[in-house]
Amino acid sequence: MIRLERVTKMYKTSTRPALDRVSVDIERGEFVFLIGPSGSGKSTFLRLLLREDVPTRGTITVADLDVAKLPRRRVPRLRQRIGCVFQDFRLLPNKTVGGNVAFALEVIGKPPQTVRKIVPEVLELVGLEGKSERMPHELSGGEQQRVAIARAFANRPMVLLADEPTGNLDPDTSQDIMLLLERINRTGTTVLMATHDHSIVDSMRRRVVELSMGKLVRDDVRGVYGVGR
Amino acid sequence: MRTDFVVREVVTGLRRNVTMTVAMVLTTAISLALVGTGLLAVRTIDRTEQLYSDRVEVQVALTADISSADADCSQAVCSGLKATLQNSPLVASVRFESQQQAYERYLQLFKGQSLAEVVRPQSLPATLRVKLNNPEAGAQAVREAMIGQVGVRNIIDQRDVVAKLFDFLSGVRNLTFAVAVVQAIAALLLISNTVQVSAFTRRVEVGVMRLVGATRWYTQFPFLIEAVVTGVVGAVIASLGILVGKFLFIDDLLSGIVSNGVIPPIEVGDVLWVSPILLMIGAGVAAVTGYVTLRLYVRL
Repeated sequence: MIRLERVTKMYKTSTRPALDRVSVDIERGEFVFLIGPSGSGKSTFLRLLLREDVPTRGTITVADLDVAKLPRRRVPRLRQRIGCVFQDFRLLPNKTVGGNVAFALEVIGKPPQTVRKIVPEVLELVGLEGKSERMPHELSGGEQQRVAIARAFANRPMVLLADEPTGNLDPDTSQDIMLLLERINRTGTTVLMATHDHSIVDSMRRRVVELSMGKLVRDDVRGVYGVGR
Repeated sequence: MRTDFVVREVVTGLRRNVTMTVAMVLTTAISLALVGTGLLAVRTIDRTEQLYSDRVEVQVALTADISSADADCSQAVCSGLKATLQNSPLVASVRFESQQQAYERYLQLFKGQSLAEVVRPQSLPATLRVKLNNPEAGAQAVREAMIGQVGVRNIIDQRDVVAKLFDFLSGVRNLTFAVAVVQAIAALLLISNTVQVSAFTRRVEVGVMRLVGATRWYTQFPFLIEAVVTGVVGAVIASLGILVGKFLFIDDLLSGIVSNGVIPPIEVGDVLWVSPILLMIGAGVAAVTGYVTLRLYVRL
């Protein structure tokens, strides 16, 4: 589902590559943690998958698309196959919960009747039934992140990328969000989550890919965050 | 493309920067109104030229002695001059106007004014009025053939008189176009600026759109439509402005020379002829400006 082959990314402003010959192969339906300290290349990794940037060398395949060679006009097709969740939720403050989810479907051209059908379904999936008319600022952080997940998942993407989704949340709420991500993973969606959160990684015992100084330093099938690192 | 989505986005976009939108609409309207005025001036100049090309004559004024002695151009000097003129291929026709006829026309022209009372038939010259096939070359040829001939006092080319009017009209046209260009630059910059501001205030939306895989069209179309709406509204206001201006000012201003038949009137039809042109210019320029701005300055 996600395959990187000897991917190197150099930025003009730095002599050290942000990613250095990284090869990873993530199968359909896997749940993978991407860990490493700040500056280790996690963000670059995610940006390359989304084609926010192109690798200097190497090939990237996401959802059967050759990401680096994708022409500009095909980029939306790639992004429609990837759902994204962030630490800061990125909800539209002037739209209701339902409106936020609907917006993501409208802008990729889904017909109104489809949107009306999907929005309540996906809100129920994330446990926000009955809150469709609320505004984002009326919700707690955990609920806002659920809206963001609902939005990311509404179009049934093949891959869900989560960049520190629990970074702004307390441990209990984080746990709820992880359960939700697991539930989404069980629907067959590949989940790749970048995180700093030791306890989550340690308790989930999922595959762990670790980056350090742009290099892949670890790829454990059932890993922990690692003691003393 | 879902129209309800685009309409909603455009309306929110225009409402969000309402002061900017108003400024943009007004500037566009003023510059388009000036363009429209310029176009009307051009149209009037063309019509006036047509009006005069049929009427303009070269007048060969005869000396006082010939004028008073020969009442019907039957004597040798006058008929000789007339024959010379008629033989030229550049001349369409020659008509003789005697002192008495000139006097009657003069009375007609200045009826009710004190000027009419001081003039006597003797003080007006008899003239040979020459209509030309080719006004450009003809006037020069008549001048060369007649000047210095016995019995000729002077030659009046009516085009010299009309030329002043054309100079004035062209001046009006050039001035309005010049101001319109300056104003148009301001309008363009404002549109460009508003598109940028609009894109900036909606960067979160646009970010989400990009992220979920909206196509370029979906992300950029609302901004383009916003610009085009501005252009169209500006053009409509400009057209209404010209129409109001016609009734309030232009009609009054020109009433004297129009009723004398010096220039043709500006009709409502003329304004209706200008409006669609303004509409196309407004919408087209706004769309192009919006597109270029999105391409060059906004990373969507």
